[in-house]
Amino acid sequence: MAGNYDPSFAKEVFDNVDSGEEIKMCMQCGICAGSCPLRHEMDYPPRQIFTLIRAGRRDEVMNSKAIKLCTSCYRCKVRCPRGIPVIDVMHGLAHYGIKKGIIPRKGTAAFGGEFWKMIYNIGRIDEKTLPLKYNLLEGLVPGIKSTIEMAPMGIQMFLHHRMKLLPERKIKGIKELRKMLDKAKEMGKGGAN
Amino acid sequence: MADVQTTNQSILVVGGGISGITTALEAAEAGYDVVLLEKNPYLGGRVTQLHQYFPKLCPPSCGLEINFKRLKANPRIRFFTMAEVAGISGKEGDYDVKVKISPRYVNEKCTGCGKCAEACTAEVDNPFNYGMDKIKAAYLPHGFAFPMRYVLDPSIVGTDDGKKCKDACQYDAIDLDMKETSFDLKAGAIVWATGWNPYDAAKVEYYGFGENKNVITNVMMERMASMNGPTGGKIVRPSDGKEIKNIAFIQCAGSRDENHLAYCSGICCVASLKQTRYIREQYPDCEVTVFFIDIRALDRLEDFYTMVKEDQKVKFIKSKIATITEDGATGNLVLEGENTNTGEQIKATFDMVVLATGMAPNSIKSVCSADVSCDEYGFIANDPAKAGIYGAGCARRPTDVASSVQDATSSALRAIQSIARR
Repeated sequence: MAGNYDPSFAKEVFDNVDSGEEIKMCMQCGICAGSCPLRHEMDYPPRQIFTLIRAGRRDEVMNSKAIKLCTSCYRCKVRCPRGIPVIDVMHGLAHYGIKKGIIPRKGTAAFGGEFWKMIYNIGRIDEKTLPLKYNLLEGLVPGIKSTIEMAPMGIQMFLHHRMKLLPERKIKGIKELRKMLDKAKEMGKGGAN
Repeated sequence: MADVQTTNQSILVVGGGISGITTALEAAEAGYDVVLLEKNPYLGGRVTQLHQYFPKLCPPSCGLEINFKRLKANPRIRFFTMAEVAGISGKEGDYDVKVKISPRYVNEKCTGCGKCAEACTAEVDNPFNYGMDKIKAAYLPHGFAFPMRYVLDPSIVGTDDGKKCKDACQYDAIDLDMKETSFDLKAGAIVWATGWNPYDAAKVEYYGFGENKNVITNVMMERMASMNGPTGGKIVRPSDGKEIKNIAFIQCAGSRDENHLAYCSGICCVASLKQTRYIREQYPDCEVTVFFIDIRALDRLEDFYTMVKEDQKVKFIKSKIATITEDGATGNLVLEGENTNTGEQIKATFDMVVLATGMAPNSIKSVCSADVSCDEYGFIANDPAKAGIYGAGCARRPTDVASSVQDATSSALRAIQSIARR
């Protein structure tokens, strides 16, 4: 694919993506790929994403599932022998994609949006309403169907005191939290979209 | 010990491994007085624990024997075992050194007859075999030990076992009242040849060394392959003593890694290639897989790599393994990682895994108040502006035996120059 090599995308990533420059340190050992609990779900594990960036394969990277799947477990970042904050790069790429209007996994992005809104409103997650809102984004009928499918898990969570029947209340100091979230958004680091 | 006469014309060599012995011999044979200190009860260092050298696959004992002979023949060298440096002060041409000698509880009358070991019932972990077996608490460190003299483990002093050992000795060689002693030395130049320690594999937690019984390190493999090792030279699984059918080597286990040793030790690749020979010699049907980031077999050593690659039973996979999981029932090990050539996820099962750990230096910094330059990892930098204390062998950089010997010879010359310059 030598003909398709295009350094401009790497430059674009270094200049615009949060922690994007860290990619320069990658030595392609693959421990991130081997450590990721979601490696079997990813189209390209982090190591391959980094190589694709260097090879200028913009479309593959920006449309990949991988950059949206990271759950921030930190295994890759802790183990990376070159000290690359792999998860920051993956999230950085996802954010950059959203900014550019590329949302390869609408569901994940929508979930992130709802999650952020809820944190902003009450300062915590309500385990009942978040999945419900997320499910309803699919439409009324499929939403109700998905919610019913999740009911057994909800019952277990309720039995283990992980979910309340009543709606969650706002946390103390919600105003201060909102200030922090606003500031994060201002810095381009916050807001799931 | 008070009879050690030293002046600022003497050279002090710290570390009695292959580098230190070489430096001491080269300087003494050039006509200089040398004091050689060794922390262990025997000379020879890590080399005595190796099974074979690469690339010729010859036994290290042969070269050591020649050196011991030279050492015995040379009146200019005084050497001390169980000796450590407690402090260094002064400057080039005029160093004051404090030396601490740990008690051996056995004096020079020992003939190596072994009656004390027969009488002793207590056992301790065998440090020579990295704790893979036990030895009597009155022991000869290894069969080829020089000086050929027994040692008593401090744990039996003051017990019945200690008394039994003393009673068993016909030569009055056991002295249970021995205490730690210390003495001072003068030296015009110091060569720091304290060598290396294998990097602690347990720190690479995702490989489970110490928990997964069949995960061993490269230095342990050397002992296992060795005739005087814990298994008499037979390479078997530590968990159940079974023969092996399928073994993996993991290169860069804690090397080239900012979380561990940030540098490449330069020898572990060829050491693992060498160990594939040990295995293939004992097991004509055993499958061997080497997982690597890059195989660093430089210069003429590449021929060795080429030779190993011709073996159909040895596979090379470019991958930094991410996880080892032990199957509780069989003791087998499941390795997971990414094949970075093909992009495929690896999940493969092995009987046994060898971690190729790197070399960490025994640094001078903690005992030296004199001016000396070390790099960020603790290796001596041999900065020309700070002459007088020189590193030799693996105290200066991670390297193999042949290069250590060359380096030691050059350090002897540097030390001589430090004295001659005055």
